[in-house]
Amino acid sequence: MTPSQRELVKKIIRTIVVLALALICAVPLYYVLISSFKTSIDMIKNPLGLPARWTFDNYKEAFADGTIVRAFINTLIVTVVAVALQVLIGSMAAFGVIYKKSKFTAIVGGVLMVTFAIPAQATMLPLYRMESDFGLVDSLLGLIVLYMGSSVFCYFLIVGYMKSLPQELFEAAKIDGAGPWRIYYRIVLPLITPILTTVVVFQVMGTWNDFLLPSVFLSSTENQTVVLQVYNAVQQFSTNWPLFMTITVLALVPVFIFFCFCQKWIVSGLVAGSVKG
Amino acid sequence: MTAATIGHASATTKHKHASSSLWAENLSSLWFLLPIIIVFSILTLIPLVQSFFYSLTDYDGYSTTFNFVGVSNYVAIFKDPSLLSALGFTLLYAFATTLLVTCFAIPLAVTLNKAMWGRSFARSLFFFLGVPAQAIIGLIWQYIFSPLGSGVMNKVLAVFGIPNVPWLADDNWARFCVIFVAVWMQVGWHATLYLAYLQTIPADLYEQARVDGANSRQQFFHITLPQLIPGIVVSMFLLMTGGLKIYDLPYTLTGGGPGYSTNTLSQAIILKGIGQSQYGLGSALSVLFTLACIIVIAAQTGIANAVEKRFQ
Repeated sequence: MTPSQRELVKKIIRTIVVLALALICAVPLYYVLISSFKTSIDMIKNPLGLPARWTFDNYKEAFADGTIVRAFINTLIVTVVAVALQVLIGSMAAFGVIYKKSKFTAIVGGVLMVTFAIPAQATMLPLYRMESDFGLVDSLLGLIVLYMGSSVFCYFLIVGYMKSLPQELFEAAKIDGAGPWRIYYRIVLPLITPILTTVVVFQVMGTWNDFLLPSVFLSSTENQTVVLQVYNAVQQFSTNWPLFMTITVLALVPVFIFFCFCQKWIVSGLVAGSVKG
Repeated sequence: MTAATIGHASATTKHKHASSSLWAENLSSLWFLLPIIIVFSILTLIPLVQSFFYSLTDYDGYSTTFNFVGVSNYVAIFKDPSLLSALGFTLLYAFATTLLVTCFAIPLAVTLNKAMWGRSFARSLFFFLGVPAQAIIGLIWQYIFSPLGSGVMNKVLAVFGIPNVPWLADDNWARFCVIFVAVWMQVGWHATLYLAYLQTIPADLYEQARVDGANSRQQFFHITLPQLIPGIVVSMFLLMTGGLKIYDLPYTLTGGGPGYSTNTLSQAIILKGIGQSQYGLGSALSVLFTLACIIVIAAQTGIANAVEKRFQ
């Protein structure tokens, strides 16, 4: 065998092994998808095969009472408002620290660094009491308030990127008479759009997928988020497995579409987050 | 050096001339920092202080009176089997997933970085497994491991003549299942992180090694692995912090059971503090949890810095 032939054989073997492994790993997702088109009996008799008869009844049933639509709207509201505020607060703080270096900004930066190590669970009991004092438990607003805590994470990603901006830029703008708000809004924000996109993509994923806070703070059906809806579906349709699978598919479809469009940004977020460590 | 000295000198003179405008600048940076200071105070600082305060009391979460009980809540933690189990499983989970994901993700990333057909499809597929909510993944696998009709795992094993396994009904199998699903979910995600680092390794390093006659195993251990150290540090840091905070996956897959075998610290805090009105105990647990996180993160950062220095 010539070296190039050996390379080809290696490539073929590698392709077979990797694709086989990938497909095995994907079986659970295939199982969920295929089961959503089956009846209960068909699902038990023939778990991994194609449906004996394709049925869309599960989908009709899933949409019947409208709770899933409500859950999507709730999650969308919470995600959009929370992420917008997180990115705004985080980027403002990053600008404040970079724009004028002083003892004060150094202290704030240091304190935020320590905050990074504190788990959300550790502050949950007092926050629960606080929110119930203000009547915010079991409300979307209350959930949004809690998600503000992630502004610190946004701050870290953004401040790392902002440090790479040339300081002369601020000096030049100052000489031209631009105030700090103008510099932040007109010069800095447009320059940091790559990191802003990354942060938005990351935070959207984290907020959309969160289970901890909704499961503790939300209780009524009309406030449910999508993940909570899937969780409650298990109890609700205890042995109607195809219906559960259908609701899972519905919950995963937007995530999948999001992934297809934003894969590049998720990767860049991984790398940006890792540079900050 | 000179430039810095000059810069410093001019800054000092500027300071004398324009201290009022400097003050205005400081004020403006305060305005920019104010939102995050408010968020930090309300959502982190005040709750932390409150957690510490109530951890020294017998407060139940709703009465108007409570007594100081010293450290008895902290002592109680170490006498409660459900909490010891939560501590044990949380640590087991954090260490096991950190090690296993790292051991699988690096070879996967190295393979996915080589020439093959369907490479970007395979990359995306492995990566996607880490994207959906952990809670949803936990629920899906709960059905797969189930002993009921939906339990496809036992059915597949039966085809090979393997008898039914009590996946979620046995303490050790349940622990195994939670860790297995966590690894299944996260390997592709971390392989993607490693791929980004692999692509920054200069190709001429390998070129040189090939000229020197190094085989692919030697190349892996002498070039790839040392060059990946920064990536390993980051990936293990993310796995460890995420592992300590774990809640969604065990809660949806096993509910913390059977018994308390897969109970987690997060679940215990919520149950004690909100579910069982043992607010003082829950608060003590929160304080210990925070300390544990800070210690583990500090230790890991220290070790990582030492390792990185050695390889540079």
